[in-house]
Amino acid sequence: MSALLEVKNLKKYFKTPRGMLHAVDDVSFDLNSGKTLGVVGESGCGKSTLGRVLINLLEATDGEIFFEGNNVIGMKKKQIKDLRQYMQIIFQDPYSSLDPRMSVSEIIAEPLRIYEVCKSNDELKKRVQELMKIVGLTERLANAYPHELDGGRRQRIGIARALALNPKFIVCDEPVSALDVSIQAQILNLMQDLQKERGLTYLFITHNLSVVKHISDDIMVMYLGNMVEKCNTKALFKRNFHPYTKALLSAIPIPQIGIEKRRILLEGEISSPINPKPGCRFASRCIYAKERCNSEQPVLREILADHFVACHYVESINIL
Amino acid sequence: MNLLEIKGLKIHYITDSGVVRAVNGIDLEINRGETLGLVGETGAGKTTTALGIMCQVPDPPGKVVEGEIFFEGSNLLEKNAREIRKIRGSKISMIFQDPMTALNPVVTIGDQICEVIRLHQKTSHAESIKIACEMLELVGIPAERINEYPHQFSGGMKQRVVIAIALACKPSLLIADEPTTALDVTIQAQVLQMMDKLKKELGTSMLMITHDLGVVAEICDRVAIMYAGEIVEYGTLEAIFNNTAHPYTKGLFGSIPSLVLDVERLSPIDGLMPDPTQLPTGCSFAPRCNEKMSECEERKPELFQVSPGHFSKCIHHKNEMHKESRGC
Repeated sequence: MSALLEVKNLKKYFKTPRGMLHAVDDVSFDLNSGKTLGVVGESGCGKSTLGRVLINLLEATDGEIFFEGNNVIGMKKKQIKDLRQYMQIIFQDPYSSLDPRMSVSEIIAEPLRIYEVCKSNDELKKRVQELMKIVGLTERLANAYPHELDGGRRQRIGIARALALNPKFIVCDEPVSALDVSIQAQILNLMQDLQKERGLTYLFITHNLSVVKHISDDIMVMYLGNMVEKCNTKALFKRNFHPYTKALLSAIPIPQIGIEKRRILLEGEISSPINPKPGCRFASRCIYAKERCNSEQPVLREILADHFVACHYVESINIL
Repeated sequence: MNLLEIKGLKIHYITDSGVVRAVNGIDLEINRGETLGLVGETGAGKTTTALGIMCQVPDPPGKVVEGEIFFEGSNLLEKNAREIRKIRGSKISMIFQDPMTALNPVVTIGDQICEVIRLHQKTSHAESIKIACEMLELVGIPAERINEYPHQFSGGMKQRVVIAIALACKPSLLIADEPTTALDVTIQAQVLQMMDKLKKELGTSMLMITHDLGVVAEICDRVAIMYAGEIVEYGTLEAIFNNTAHPYTKGLFGSIPSLVLDVERLSPIDGLMPDPTQLPTGCSFAPRCNEKMSECEERKPELFQVSPGHFSKCIHHKNEMHKESRGC
């Protein structure tokens, strides 16, 4: 099976008054059709930027993105517009990602109008109704405005809008973070059903590790713009090798009692991504850090089959 | 004697579009040195309960309609504003959810900590600064940063400052309103561990308001589950987690993706929280409950003791007990 999305050495830097901010630094991965890649990391690690660069909402500084074999970088505007039908995004905050002055049906119809998919107004109306049904919104809400609805319903509108053009690839940027747990579970189930029915490919960005474990096939852990570990979801929760992944996993409070936990507490806080020093970006918080970590940036290596880790001392830390 | 005892508290917001029944007759107790977790979703009335204890319900539109709040034996609701001000910040203090907005951006963190110390203790300026430095060290911030402004700190550090302010007068009750929701997991782990350590050192009781059952499992002794302004289940940590009784609590557990087990599909609670201006006449959870009977929609269930110290508000329990006793 060929990859739907191939990303090679992708970089996105932002110019700031204090220097270059390395939001995404040298990230490469493949994503197969019908799969879900979870991207986890703390705030400021570049996961949302990555999602936006992938669908060309932000222009990449360097690197290549192949979507179905075509390089997205350097495409003309017209070509990008054509391509966007197939790549959509669901945003984090359902309160600010919907136009408050458009009704539910107008919001869902907008992409259909832009791409002139429907020939008549009746057809458009029918298609919107169909989409609302798919995401579980009742018909009577068609003329409601976003402020009349709660977070869960708004997120359903966001999903319907993303589905309108029958995309192949959807970037889900923390789609459930702003929702209550009982609503969160409803939306997660909906997204899984849609994936099964339509063979969608998701890039699922979140900081919630239990959500990402639930929905992803593969997981990529990011730290300050770098990918530090990537592998199959089950494998990651069974065996993880990077010191940051270990700390991150041990930090999650588990809603069960009587579970023995060895918590690795990280000292200090995330360092600045502006003009980062050479060397491993996690070194300042890492308990295993040695001299080499401060001078040389570790590259991503395949430690086990399909299990990639970026750490100089991964073998000695894990006794491999 | 319990440190805090709430009896039949009702807080309503009287608005143009109707009366919002935010807190609907709750009973709570917190013993000395104990941590009680108050769990519920957005709009369940958790924060309003906390504001009620602090006597800070915004009036208008809020109003404490009924009930009593006994703190160290005296009813807080009968005290006048001056007496309350003496208690608030010194004996009962609160940590707010969002550390980004809880601090004054134009005052140094040192002055913000000193403010509460000088308000409640007869100390000189120099002494209060000394205490403030100690508090900062206690929460893990180097004392030399005392003259810095909030924007110079990261989110986790700001929350530490807020905790330092809350603990400055060594309160006997600390109300923590979602103290780690706005923080990243690794920072959350640091802050929770620190709060637990300080609580034990200072012997403070804590009311931990959260929607994260993981945090509850980690830090609480007893748990109260709140839904639509009512406490629907109440008991020790073990009872709630291992012997879940109320359908809503079961639904909450079913909604969380597990890190330990592999679950193919989540079992969410259908529907939405009822509109607090028009609560159902019967059990407020009935419209979403998958175990509901016709009786549930007709009358309000009473709190029923499932096992000693473990209460649940569901008509089912009573019927089951009835059956069992008849069977015997």
